[in-house]
Amino acid sequence: MDQPDALILEMQNGNHAAFSKIYEMYSRAIYGVVITVVRDQDLTEEVVQDVFIKVWKNSNSYTPSKGRFYTWLLNIARNTAIDMTRSKAYKNSAKNLTTENFVDIIAGHDTMSGKTDAIGLKKYVAALKPMCIQIIELLYFKGYTQAETAKTLATPLGTIKTRARNCIGDLRKMLLNE
Amino acid sequence: MTEEEIIASGLLELYVTGSLSQEEILEVEAAMAQYPSVKKEVAQIEASLIKLSEATAGNVSPKVWERIIEFTQGVRPLSTARKRNWGSVTGWAAALLFFVGLAFMLKQNSDLKSKLRTVNTKNMVLQEKTSITEAQLTQANDLLEIVRSKDFNAISLPGNVDVAPTAYATVYYNKDENIAYIDAKGLPKPPEGKVYQVWSLIMDPLTPRSMGVLEGFEAADTAFFKVENVPSPEAFGITLEPEGGSESPTLTQLYTLGMVSP
Repeated sequence: MDQPDALILEMQNGNHAAFSKIYEMYSRAIYGVVITVVRDQDLTEEVVQDVFIKVWKNSNSYTPSKGRFYTWLLNIARNTAIDMTRSKAYKNSAKNLTTENFVDIIAGHDTMSGKTDAIGLKKYVAALKPMCIQIIELLYFKGYTQAETAKTLATPLGTIKTRARNCIGDLRKMLLNE
Repeated sequence: MTEEEIIASGLLELYVTGSLSQEEILEVEAAMAQYPSVKKEVAQIEASLIKLSEATAGNVSPKVWERIIEFTQGVRPLSTARKRNWGSVTGWAAALLFFVGLAFMLKQNSDLKSKLRTVNTKNMVLQEKTSITEAQLTQANDLLEIVRSKDFNAISLPGNVDVAPTAYATVYYNKDENIAYIDAKGLPKPPEGKVYQVWSLIMDPLTPRSMGVLEGFEAADTAFFKVENVPSPEAFGITLEPEGGSESPTLTQLYTLGMVSP
């Protein structure tokens, strides 16, 4: 999927309808990233709301020369989510946080309210190698740098790229039927 | 890196997750611009990750969008054009300040230089005046020496009542060396085309001998003239003569006359 450059430009020019379409396209993905970091539904809604308000207000700070629009969104989402976890309100909420990752979160969803392919998807994701779950969790959901990921996993730096390649390759086979 | 190498490297996956260094980002973007296959690969990686996090999200409450609308409708996105780049503004201000300062200092420098030139010129004028004054002082001292000297005899030449009653002159005469100084300060300025001529006179019989004309009367402020080889006279006389002087004195124009005391 090519990114919707025309839509992005319209949003930057103040077209609220274009912004609405952008929200439709990306809000679920962003929500998924935020909940993996924040792990609380109410707080996730608050963060996602903040993220898209920032996107609207600061849309002009994005230029295609800065990389992918989705990566730009992703950075705003992860930063806003991490800021939330550092806030006093978050610490006082005293949530009983488990060490669950994105696979656990997917597994916890009520399949009855999900889409028809939700069951199949759960099965695929659960089949990911533990090493892949770690790599994707850190690089994608948590926004770790290569060096931080290498350090956390006690793995050589060069291995991170290879694993990222292989693990996302597995993901593509499962989710995109490549 | 070739097209295949960059796709196999894992750089594209890390590009989408936002985990690359700035240097690597530029490398990936150059490859994306060059190879459509690389661009397509990036889009596929992104699509798979979007699908994964959508699965993680489950259902998103419609309340979220309703609240976003509340905060964004009627609010225009911030324009980058309206955003002041304060770093740049400060930079320009600093540069402007620097140039204003520089111009100010250059102006001061040139002012000082021109003042210095004026002072130097004044100084030169003063030096000239000083040297002139010094020369005049030396001359005056020399004259004073002569006047005071016992070797010189001061002979007063009063004005001829018929021709120039207010005129007078003084001759300082050294008999032994035959030198005379003529102080002509008491003579009026000679009319155009006329000069004063000094004569030494022997009275009996009346024998005038020219001692010379007082050349450059106007230029010589002191109107003090030196005459050498003065023949032994009994008297000195000064007459007004046509320019260049005369063979014998024009007695009707005798301005002053004085006897040498024996």
